[in-house]
Amino acid sequence: MTADLLNDIFLVTAALFVVLAIMMFYRAVAGPTTQDRLLAVNVLGTNTVVILALLAAGLDEPWFLDIALIYALLNFLMAIAISKFTVERGGVL
Amino acid sequence: MIGTAVAYTLAIFIVLAAVATALFRDVLSAIVVFGAYSLGMAILYTFLLAPDVAMTEAAIGAGVTTILLLLTIARTTRPSTDRLFERVNVPAVIAVGAFVLVLGTLLPDMYAVGTESAPVWGEQGVLTETPSLYYIENTFGDTGAQNAVSAVLASYRGFDTFGEAVVVFAAAIAVLLVLKREVFT
Repeated sequence: MTADLLNDIFLVTAALFVVLAIMMFYRAVAGPTTQDRLLAVNVLGTNTVVILALLAAGLDEPWFLDIALIYALLNFLMAIAISKFTVERGGVL
Repeated sequence: MIGTAVAYTLAIFIVLAAVATALFRDVLSAIVVFGAYSLGMAILYTFLLAPDVAMTEAAIGAGVTTILLLLTIARTTRPSTDRLFERVNVPAVIAVGAFVLVLGTLLPDMYAVGTESAPVWGEQGVLTETPSLYYIENTFGDTGAQNAVSAVLASYRGFDTFGEAVVVFAAAIAVLLVLKREVFT
């Protein structure tokens, strides 16, 4: 019973984080500069890791954490690539 | 029940991201928002219990695609941005909408996720005369390969795999063209 309640709490929190993602997406669309958008998407990436971890706990599927780990590892990649692109135009790799 | 709510909220987020990606006038912003779309898709794939697809989406969608698109726009010119969004092309929207409607009418015919009445489970969730059992029993006699997965990929669906190899080859050539490099050192 308490375990079910805890799982429900995890899932509701995950749903709230998805709603937060939509709110952050507003900044990603409206943000006047590309840097604003980049930062918003970066926060969205961190948000994704949190949502995956909450789903792993709430649905009793521990392997969700593997995908969360992959995202945590890859999240910085886009930020670095676009930052480099903006600073030295054309230098991505 | 709550899980369904999470999935539907995710679907809203993904549709918003896709529409924004399509409508952005500035290509760099579109690439950034496409990253957000990819994040949402990865959570949805995970939620639908497709971990391999989710991992691919994480690696390709967030990592490789962004860098390839950046390389491409670094070597091309971007139109100056006088307004935020592209004008909506009405005939294209109508065509896409009709296509989505046609696909939507087919949705009720699909098996629900994880249902036991899907053919792959056989009768009442017991493996009887199912495709997987056939492959387990007959692969070695049919193809001589000891690994059933390899046999399906390379022998039973050989032409399919051949087509995939052609696609990967074309993609690799496109990447080399973008990188302007014929030999990797």
